[in-house]
Amino acid sequence: MAQMRRRDFIALVGGAMAWPLVVRAQEATRLYRILWVSTQSQPDPFLDGFREGLRAKGYVEGKNVVFELHYAPGDPHALHQIVSELKHGDIDLAVSSGPATRAMIAVTDVPVLFALSGDPIALGVVKSLAQPGTNFTGATFLSLDLAGKRVELLKDAYPELRRLAVLSNTDHPGEQSEWQATQQASRGLGIEPVYVPFFGANEIDDALTTAASSHADGIIVFPEPVTLVNRTRIAEFAVAHRMPSMFGWSEYCEAGGLLSYGANQRATYFWLASYADRILRGESPAALPVVQPEKFELAVNLKTAKLLGMDLNISSILFRATKVIQ
Amino acid sequence: MRSNRLRPRGSLFIKYFVTLFIVVVVPLIFGAVGEAWFGYRDQWHRLDEVLQAEARSAAGKIQTFTDGIRDQLGWVVQFPWTQDEVDRHRIDPLRLLQQVPAIASITLVDQTGTERVFASRLRLNRIGRGLDMSTDPAILGARANKVWYGAVRYQRDSEPYMKIAVAGNLAAAGVAVADVNLKLIRDVVAAIKIGKTGYIIVVDGSGRLIAHPDMSLVLRGVASAYDINRLNNSLNATNGAAVVTTADGGESVVAVSVSVGDPGWNVIAVQPISEAFELIRAALWRFLILVAIGTLITLALAYWLANRMSGPIRQLEDGAKRIGAGQFDHRIAISSGDELEQLARRFNGMAEELATSQQKSERINRLKRFLAPQVAELVEHSDELLDGQKREVVAIFGDLRGFTSFSARAEPDQIMAALREYYEAVGAAITRHEATLIQFAGDGVMVLVNAPIECENPAHRAVLLAIDLQAAVQRLASSWSAKGYAMGFGVGIAMGPATVGTVGYEGRLDYTAVGNAVNLASRLCASADDAQILLDPIVAKQAKDSFALVSLGERIIKGYDRSLEVFAVAHSEIPAESFDSGVQSVELQPNLVSIVGPDL
Repeated sequence: MAQMRRRDFIALVGGAMAWPLVVRAQEATRLYRILWVSTQSQPDPFLDGFREGLRAKGYVEGKNVVFELHYAPGDPHALHQIVSELKHGDIDLAVSSGPATRAMIAVTDVPVLFALSGDPIALGVVKSLAQPGTNFTGATFLSLDLAGKRVELLKDAYPELRRLAVLSNTDHPGEQSEWQATQQASRGLGIEPVYVPFFGANEIDDALTTAASSHADGIIVFPEPVTLVNRTRIAEFAVAHRMPSMFGWSEYCEAGGLLSYGANQRATYFWLASYADRILRGESPAALPVVQPEKFELAVNLKTAKLLGMDLNISSILFRATKVIQ
Repeated sequence: MRSNRLRPRGSLFIKYFVTLFIVVVVPLIFGAVGEAWFGYRDQWHRLDEVLQAEARSAAGKIQTFTDGIRDQLGWVVQFPWTQDEVDRHRIDPLRLLQQVPAIASITLVDQTGTERVFASRLRLNRIGRGLDMSTDPAILGARANKVWYGAVRYQRDSEPYMKIAVAGNLAAAGVAVADVNLKLIRDVVAAIKIGKTGYIIVVDGSGRLIAHPDMSLVLRGVASAYDINRLNNSLNATNGAAVVTTADGGESVVAVSVSVGDPGWNVIAVQPISEAFELIRAALWRFLILVAIGTLITLALAYWLANRMSGPIRQLEDGAKRIGAGQFDHRIAISSGDELEQLARRFNGMAEELATSQQKSERINRLKRFLAPQVAELVEHSDELLDGQKREVVAIFGDLRGFTSFSARAEPDQIMAALREYYEAVGAAITRHEATLIQFAGDGVMVLVNAPIECENPAHRAVLLAIDLQAAVQRLASSWSAKGYAMGFGVGIAMGPATVGTVGYEGRLDYTAVGNAVNLASRLCASADDAQILLDPIVAKQAKDSFALVSLGERIIKGYDRSLEVFAVAHSEIPAESFDSGVQSVELQPNLVSIVGPDL
């Protein structure tokens, strides 16, 4: 024991001599360029969350970080042009929100952070969640897993539910799987799902018209940029047609949706900034695991419930809610 | 030359440097090494304690975390599976999910091992599916021990999950099995900071990483296992004592492991060595700087001292060189107030004594001109001998006969050669008899006996000397006559009181005698024939017992009122072989009278 200590001591003394050679990771006053690509529109709460996260890590916009924002609301294809023009050296990091990730697949020499509702392995951007092994990493919201759960929760809140309109943007990656999971869950709960697909922002009006004529007594909306952009309209539509509505993120619920169940988006983007920090400091995204949410928010909008004339007190929904909007 | 003088001597500088270095820097090194060693030991103990405390505290928190889940599960297995409790059994799991965020799903099993309720955050809830779970290890484990902890597994190879099963106190209450997302332990662990950079990690019994402040390491699943296993193994080897090892990323750390009782996990408190021994490192750096300063001071001091020493030494050396070259008036001026100044003073004293002794030897050399060397030495040691005094002296005058005509005829080199031979012969005789040569003047010579050195029986010695002189000069005369010069030699001796002493001026000092006897001897010499030695009555009276003397009768001596009886040394006293015939023309000339003064 004493011998080992002496060895340690000598090693320590030796280490002390070598100390000044250890270059401290001095924060260079370098200006980092971050490309933000999104299929949503501004104001963008996710970008705000990400910015907030960067600020918490000590970044000051304009001083050591600048954003290059590219929005193609509801149209990931519009981003292809920008992405194809991306050259190594122009930017230090790309952050893609939602389906915009699909447009980034071709990018191989710039680190890309994503926040996906779908499965990044299925999308082909990472090899595994534990070790992405590519220039991509980020967060997945496990929407597929939650699709069935949302039906169940809507049924819990509104046990009379028999026919469920499923509003789905077919332009969204993983949409089919999500629809299938929804279908399966609905069947199990004795609900008849009515598939209301649409393609891109242009078809949303038609989709709502279709939903209105579907004789559904409830509506479920897949979380994705086009419906997020149009969340207020959809929520109002649901109330107008006396349909209890279920959404993916609390942003929808705040806009008038009855219920939402899903990971906190803003928190995820806030957290994503810490990965951005690590990548800007030189870590490889290939070794940064894709993160899955462990906390899910069940948001309930009591105002909407009142408008719908529902008494939620009789169900188990209220005590399970993490967020109640009154 | 100037720069040479300023530069300290190399060897002196090095000696001073080495000495001062040993005195100044070596104790510093010993002190610092000792301090570092003891500091290291203290710090090690402190670190061990801190890490143990932090690890135990973290283990306590993690225990609280798992105990919390266990206790919450206990709530849902309180009531038996009777018909009127079905609603409660349906609602309880949902409430539990709301209450405990870490539980991802929960399964309630009745006493028969049949699944009755399943509630999940992600998947669809199931009620009364009736799946037989009676052989599930969770159920068996919980029934056996009330509580059962499953192994940690990585869901989708990434997120750590573990099952906890709790059986109710009543067997009829069944078993609750919860699937726990261990990512939430992160909140417990991330809050613990040890120092600035220390942290806590949690691993299960088989080395799977459960919690780490860097969550991505946990989410990497089995890919992180290698580093963690190595850390875990090195800790297991020491039975929980603090150990220096390398953590993930190759960083050297001090780590301590504490086990969490129930799930059988290990909590590892880790402190990077860079922080753990920061103080010691700082002390070592302080010490290095001190050594550097000490070395600089030592250098400066050695340079100064060497310079201080070499300056005076150079002065001494220079002085010694000058004095060696005979510059005895050179003095070395050093006022350093130390031994060097003393040495310089000694040096100056030495130069002074050398000067004195040189003056003395110069004086002796001068004395040797008119004194025999041994007499000169004797006189030198008693200065008063040369002081003017009245003394009974014997004056001897000798003079060549026929020298004037010889010098008129002969060539100068012949004259000089003859005189040299004559002086050498006369000088040798005077030296032999330790008499005092007063002067050579041309062909004449004046010698004193009994002054300045007294001797016994001076008259006798004078006569002996005169006989010797005659013999020597007669031998010369015979060789001269062979060459054709006819020269003879006459001697006069008189004795009486005379004033003796040195006279002269700077650089030129003569010893001389003034008195009647001197005049008389000169007159006698003048009146002596060749080969004749004339004596005054005093000498004659004293020498008559030793020598055969012949009285020549009364003679009128110039300058004397009355006649004086003059004696001659009989020819028989003078060695015969020195005589030669044919010297007839004898010139009697009192040419030495001028020496003794005009008063005669």
